[in-house]
Amino acid sequence: MEVTLLVQAADESFAILEKARVRAVDLMNTAAKLTSETRWMEEKKVRAIFRGAQETRAGLQNFVVTFVILFFFWALLSGKYDTFHLSLGVICCGIVASFGHDLLFYNVRAGDMRVIAGRFVLYVPWLFYQVVLSNFHVARLVLSPRLPIDPKLIRYKTKLESDTSMVTLANSITLTPGTITIAIENGEFVVHALSRKVADDLNAGDMEDKVAHIFMEADHIYIQDVLDVARIFAALK
Amino acid sequence: MIHRGEDVIIRTIARMLIPFIQIYALYVIMHGHYSPGGGFQGGVIFGASFVLLLLTHGYHDARSRISEKTMIVFSSMGVLIYAGIGFLCLVLLGNFLDYSMLAGILHVDPAHARSLGILGVEIGVGFAVMAVMVSIFLDISTGGVLPGEEEEVGEPPANEA
Repeated sequence: MEVTLLVQAADESFAILEKARVRAVDLMNTAAKLTSETRWMEEKKVRAIFRGAQETRAGLQNFVVTFVILFFFWALLSGKYDTFHLSLGVICCGIVASFGHDLLFYNVRAGDMRVIAGRFVLYVPWLFYQVVLSNFHVARLVLSPRLPIDPKLIRYKTKLESDTSMVTLANSITLTPGTITIAIENGEFVVHALSRKVADDLNAGDMEDKVAHIFMEADHIYIQDVLDVARIFAALK
Repeated sequence: MIHRGEDVIIRTIARMLIPFIQIYALYVIMHGHYSPGGGFQGGVIFGASFVLLLLTHGYHDARSRISEKTMIVFSSMGVLIYAGIGFLCLVLLGNFLDYSMLAGILHVDPAHARSLGILGVEIGVGFAVMAVMVSIFLDISTGGVLPGEEEEVGEPPANEA
């Protein structure tokens, strides 16, 4: 009799505990949902404010930079530097820049442009050096009597995100002798490589890292970045 | 109807080239009275830049920049500039498009007035040619149905076998 009572009491207490547990889980879930919702909304609000400020600044910056570049192009074409023709140039560049300032620079954050331009200028000599190197390689391949080529198509998954960086990488690959970009399909490069060595060079991802560094693609850390930070710290000390 | 192109490379390169094509077109128009070129050639180049934008970005992405209504207004405006300068010369007791009569209005010598008058006419011709080029292209690519009307017309009923 006492044993059955004891067992019953134990059962009941287990049932109560179970109910409490379910309740607690429910509560926890609701709380988590609420927090995440509010946080999502907060983030959205902040993002909207940030983007609004960014867009105006970025638009203005794009306009000014496009205008300057186009005006250089105009001066190069025109060759007449009297007031009348230069003022015509200013008007024309203004029209074109207001039409197409988001065509030339698409999706560039304000303040990033100077960094990107500087890094790009530094990238060009490196690319030239790379072109010269693979030039010698391809010349050796072609001139040797055995013709030791191993042509193949490689699919190359990239970590780049923006259109501009992907196109820069694609054109860099094509510019380098021995490799040609055939297509970009959903972030996957289809590259024709002339020999194993150039294919391996490409797979090593050196060029990709450099391009990602130029355009500051977000979720990668590069040696160059670390070195930059180290230099800044040293300067601060 | 043209759809957005699939190829990232072509789209991006076209995007970057379009401002330069346009500035070249304007250069051809503005220097038409000194060097080869002029309103027709420059207008065609300018129209080609819009055609490139439409071909690479598709109609829906490009329509915010180029609408048929703007193009129709531009083409009429170009003809108006051309004819306006011509008739202005008539009003000033000269022949049609006799630019030296504009010297009085512009306060310059007749030779300079001729140069400026030709420039004005070139601009008018450029406007008209550019706008007509683009609207012809839009007409061909959309099959003559303006996108505003498209919803009213709707999809043609599917043929039942």
